[in-house]
Amino acid sequence: MGKQTWKERIPAFASVLGLLVLIAAYYIVGAVRDANVAYGLKAIVNQSVVVALVATGAVFIYTLGSFDISLGAATGVSALLGAMAYNATGSLVIMFLVCVGVAVVLGFINSSLASVFNLPIFVTTVAMMSVLSAFMLILIGWNGAGDTVKVKARDVRPLDNIPFKVFILVSYIALCWFIFTLLPTGREAKFIGGSPVCARLSGINEKKLGIIASLISAVGIGLGAFLTIIYAPTLTKDTASSIGMDVIIAIVFGGMPVSGGPRSRILSAVVGAFSMGFMTQIMSMLNLGSGYGQMIKAAIFLLVVFIALGSQRGKLLTR
Amino acid sequence: MEPILTVRSMDKSFGATVALRQVDLDVWPGEIRGLIGENGSGKSTLTSIIAGIQKADAGEIRFHGQPWHPASMIDALNHGIGMIVQETGTIPGITVAENLFLGESDRFRSSLGLVSRRAMEREARKALDVIHADHIRPGTPAAMLDLQERKLVEVAKVMVKKPEILVVDETTTALSQKGRELLYQLMESLKKEGKAVIFISHDLDEIKQVCDTLTVLRDGRIITHFSRENYDDDAIKTSMIGREMQGDYYRADSEPSWQEQVLLKADRLTGSGLHDVSLEVRAGEILGIGGLSECGMHTLGKALFGSAMLTGGTVETGGKAYSDPGHATALGVGYVSKERDTESLCQQASIRDNIAIGGLKHIQMKKLILKKRETAYVQKQVDALSIKCRHMEQPVSAMSGGNKQKVVFGKWLGAGSRVLILDCPTRGVDIGVKQSMYQLITKMKNEGRAVLIISEEMAELIGMCDRLLVMKDGAVQKEFLRGQMREAEIIRYMI
Repeated sequence: MGKQTWKERIPAFASVLGLLVLIAAYYIVGAVRDANVAYGLKAIVNQSVVVALVATGAVFIYTLGSFDISLGAATGVSALLGAMAYNATGSLVIMFLVCVGVAVVLGFINSSLASVFNLPIFVTTVAMMSVLSAFMLILIGWNGAGDTVKVKARDVRPLDNIPFKVFILVSYIALCWFIFTLLPTGREAKFIGGSPVCARLSGINEKKLGIIASLISAVGIGLGAFLTIIYAPTLTKDTASSIGMDVIIAIVFGGMPVSGGPRSRILSAVVGAFSMGFMTQIMSMLNLGSGYGQMIKAAIFLLVVFIALGSQRGKLLTR
Repeated sequence: MEPILTVRSMDKSFGATVALRQVDLDVWPGEIRGLIGENGSGKSTLTSIIAGIQKADAGEIRFHGQPWHPASMIDALNHGIGMIVQETGTIPGITVAENLFLGESDRFRSSLGLVSRRAMEREARKALDVIHADHIRPGTPAAMLDLQERKLVEVAKVMVKKPEILVVDETTTALSQKGRELLYQLMESLKKEGKAVIFISHDLDEIKQVCDTLTVLRDGRIITHFSRENYDDDAIKTSMIGREMQGDYYRADSEPSWQEQVLLKADRLTGSGLHDVSLEVRAGEILGIGGLSECGMHTLGKALFGSAMLTGGTVETGGKAYSDPGHATALGVGYVSKERDTESLCQQASIRDNIAIGGLKHIQMKKLILKKRETAYVQKQVDALSIKCRHMEQPVSAMSGGNKQKVVFGKWLGAGSRVLILDCPTRGVDIGVKQSMYQLITKMKNEGRAVLIISEEMAELIGMCDRLLVMKDGAVQKEFLRGQMREAEIIRYMI
């Protein structure tokens, strides 16, 4: 039996190649424009790391063929409660534990409701999004100063550095990669996403996988919430509100079908998140207005998805 | 007389796989032309090009002497060539009527621009009546129909267009005897009207009975043609597989045999159309379940795997009861569904993923799945079952029916299942693969596994089983032992 040819493998790496091209373009444009690329890189990491964390965990849910619309609200609530815990105790460790713990509890509630009521996870997350958004307003009303909940910036400044953020991200990606690739969880999740009926008749427990996926995703949400406080210690009702959409774009941009299934990959999330970050910086260096920038982004987005899906197009025998 | 359809020098490749090479074919008015060949020989590729599903790389097709370049399957159907495809061709989320008139809803628009569902369903009723499918309601969602009913909807969808050429691609495997006879009548009526039928089947007896001429394909080439007066089983088989068939087709022994140990026991299963069904399958036994398509045997297969909704009864293996597929799998029970493409395989996934998913616990080393071990595990199944593929990363959707079925077998055999429930295990596979599957099932028996075959093919049940339970109306009517199975008597209990 032969092996996959390079031509057959290329679509799987199209998004990584895309990221490399964007990195090269970033340095070229930076050199031409005489921009401060080091400062720009720091901005890219700061912008991308939270999306990458949340998206990496969300890959487990997307792989199942489902999606979580409450990611942003869950990140916001976790960050708010984490910040309030810090303000009450003055401990960064407790803030970290509360961020992750709250996210895990929310993930567990989501998936348990889905399991008990036999609903797709997506459905419970729709309800959860409304509840959490309202909860954020209540929390800010109870404990905030005006419309915000603040942590003193100088208290978190020691952690507001790139090596720490990259360490958190790499550690979490490594954990997710380990679970996704080396344990049965990833294989089984891919099967559920590809064919729920076949998965069930192959002995895979869909409900159990749903709960596991939600919990893993919740850890990413908790870490994202923690880094959100570190980077922007003044929290409002809009904190992390765009994360849900950013995660979808990052995952698709990273070459993973949003319908999940066998072609899902952990690295899609981080590749997609950083591709978006580099693209935004390139547009900024080129002084492209947001209108042109959005259009160019959209065109590149379509191109990457087109190439990534190329492996499935026109290659199928009729039977 | 001129041929109604001519194909000349047709080539078609899918990546590195050559599907058709220099194919020439003539189809004549008033002819039922059989196409036969092993899985992957090119039959479906050839007919799908004729029916506008895909394009040839090279060659020429003429229909009524004119160049034939249909833009799509619907275009081909509207211009005289319709095809009933091998796999499911209906959309589950819409109604029967909407399936029948897919892309033609404008026909049913009122002056206000609204689609009249009533008018559409009225026309659908007429189309279904033409093929005598009176029991199918036009307003029913296609997802609620069983495999046979969905096939009949596809037949109606094609027949309503009154095609000049009807292509039937292994459709009869999804139909009961009644459904088959209905289709044969339609084919005969087309023939009498001077139209033509291209008929693909792996059932040699059926193809000999139905077809006037027979064309054999192998490895994408036309090998030979047979006319009805020259039909010869051995010659046809030899030309199909390129060699004489070696060894026994079914089991060689004629006496029933099994070991003492009961590996699968069902007690008073009731619900989902089953009534008080009890059975035991012992180690080293092949138990057959036969009956008409709607007798409940397919539900029984699911119930024995813990995946049917029952109101009563228990299933156990090795003394341990189970009621869901996860538990059944963990206890060493495997299930091959009749609906291979939707229930037994994940089409988008690779051969590797589909085989490995059943045996993850065997692949794991200290709880970890290492790629090297996984590759070796999958390779072992691919070699043992002679699965034809370019590499194990190939998606199963790109494989022929027989090879897909081998992948399903590989999933459960690799998992070390001691009990195998096989629902129509040879549906849509060619004669060569069938033989190798029968040999494999015999090997499973000799290894002491318990095998349960649910089948609508009487010859298969008689040829392979130690015991046969005949079902009717959800209940077991009669038990036959190997050596005592007589077709006429079995049929008496079926109907």
